[in-house]
Amino acid sequence: MRPRGWIRVGLHAANLAVIAFFLLPLIAALFGALQSEKSLHADTRGLWAREWTLDNFRVILSGGAQRGAIFEQATYLPDNIKKIHFALINSTVISVSVTLLTLVFASLTAYTVARLRSRWIMWLMGINVFARFVPVIVLMIPLYVTFRRFGMLNSIWGVIIALTGFLLPYGIIILAPYFASIPQELDDAARIDGCSRFTVLMRIILPLSTPALASYGAIVFVIAWNDLLIPLILNNRAEFMTLPVMIASLVGDVFTFFNLLMAICLIALAPTVILVLVLRKFVVRGLSAGAVKG
Amino acid sequence: MARSEPFRFGRERSPRVLGFVMNIPTLITLSLVLAYPIFYAAYLSFHKVSLAELRRGVYPFVGLANYERIFSDPLFRLSLKNTLIFTGFSVTVEIVLAIAIALLIDQQHIWTSRVTKFLILVPYAVPPIANGLIWSFMYSFEYGFLNRILYTTGISHTAVNWSGDPSTALIAVSIPYIWRTLPFAILLSHAALQGISQDFYEAASVDGAGALQRFWHITLPLLRPIIVVILVLRTSFAFAVFDEVLAITQGGPGDATWVASWYSYKKGFAPPFDIGAGAASAYVLAMIIGLLAISYGRLIYRRIQ
Repeated sequence: MRPRGWIRVGLHAANLAVIAFFLLPLIAALFGALQSEKSLHADTRGLWAREWTLDNFRVILSGGAQRGAIFEQATYLPDNIKKIHFALINSTVISVSVTLLTLVFASLTAYTVARLRSRWIMWLMGINVFARFVPVIVLMIPLYVTFRRFGMLNSIWGVIIALTGFLLPYGIIILAPYFASIPQELDDAARIDGCSRFTVLMRIILPLSTPALASYGAIVFVIAWNDLLIPLILNNRAEFMTLPVMIASLVGDVFTFFNLLMAICLIALAPTVILVLVLRKFVVRGLSAGAVKG
Repeated sequence: MARSEPFRFGRERSPRVLGFVMNIPTLITLSLVLAYPIFYAAYLSFHKVSLAELRRGVYPFVGLANYERIFSDPLFRLSLKNTLIFTGFSVTVEIVLAIAIALLIDQQHIWTSRVTKFLILVPYAVPPIANGLIWSFMYSFEYGFLNRILYTTGISHTAVNWSGDPSTALIAVSIPYIWRTLPFAILLSHAALQGISQDFYEAASVDGAGALQRFWHITLPLLRPIIVVILVLRTSFAFAVFDEVLAITQGGPGDATWVASWYSYKKGFAPPFDIGAGAASAYVLAMIIGLLAISYGRLIYRRIQ
């Protein structure tokens, strides 16, 4: 049915309202990030900057080396911003490693859930459904105590292990039903031709499951990149911070102004927003599969 | 391995052995990061653990003292109350908005609906801490984006103290949270919406049912299962809200936005580093969410049946 007349106008208006709501924070962040502190101070009521500039990004991405016009006289720049390249590298290394590790581990387990179906494996699957509900803070307090005792605080590996464990259950929940939906006859044919079960997984199940693997991989990358609480508790030295931890470290800093903060926020959100828009279909499928199927 | 045949892993192994071997990585990771911490958190919650004990590595047993202390702490009770208000508000708003927006993006003949559909995932990808910080710029009393909008459009000429007023601060924190988590609820509602057969609507139209009647008697009842799923999932995640509180209010103004996760974090990782009490309060939170998880499990189980 094609909506007509004023209903059509109403639907357009509703869409515009939703789009405005979704984009408002991004517009605000751009507005703040593209001008100087002085310009934000000079006009506290307008929606148009006196002059637009990319200097905030310049000073952040160069770690304070390139000051640009608006920071010429500035004497203060938080130490953590000067070490932003650590945060960028750490965030990338952690998110990529967690994505790869969870994909491998979850695929192996999902195969055993989909094809072997022994009692303890189904039990493991059941635990996974519940594991998603454990609040991270409950896990982080004991992990902090343990990591501290074994000298694993302030390490990239500690965060990778914790995030991998935290995101694995989600992947098993997404991948197992997908693997199970691949016809068993394909396995049987390959097995008659002499393939081992492991080869069947590598040569048949995984290639046929690329959409599900892409869904899960994209979701894991986004969650790993965005996660704050785990690296916040485990890593407090600037060399081991991720981007979200670095952003959190600036929250209480009254001398750091919104123009710099907004620029850092945009740098932190760009990779995941672009990834999600590029892999939109996969992310949509993964999110609904992870919620409904158990 | 001299032959050119592909490497065969466990060909002669029984499914039983293979099932175990293939699960070794998962079992190790999950026991390290999930199973062990859950039990160790319980252990810590019955012991005195603060900086001095951490240094010595000895945690004296104190029985229920940590629990007694947090339950007699007015701030803990306030945090639970705030968490309930926060969760109740955000989940209710989210479900209503999600169904409305799902219906909106289902309109294939409206081109703006396609734009909305394209943009829906954007908030989902934004790091929660960045989201919080951006909103704290929007809320800022002196320089904030929202007040600038009020001035420029002429709606108001006095600045609004969005997140600084104790009576509205909790709502101010929940709006960014709703913004970020709404895409998930919309996607689930939209997927369920597409599963409804057009035949129902056509039959209803033939019987003379209007749009509102069709929504009330067909769409809503058929969406009920997914609404319950969203309700349970969103409730249990909203109970653990942390990032937006840290970025926007840090629990303030006063203690108006102390929520459960923030309480556990502050107890354990801010002076005087009372990790025992932090673990105890986190365990109370986990128990509440655990009850929700059990109801979710039942629900899913019934769907599979």
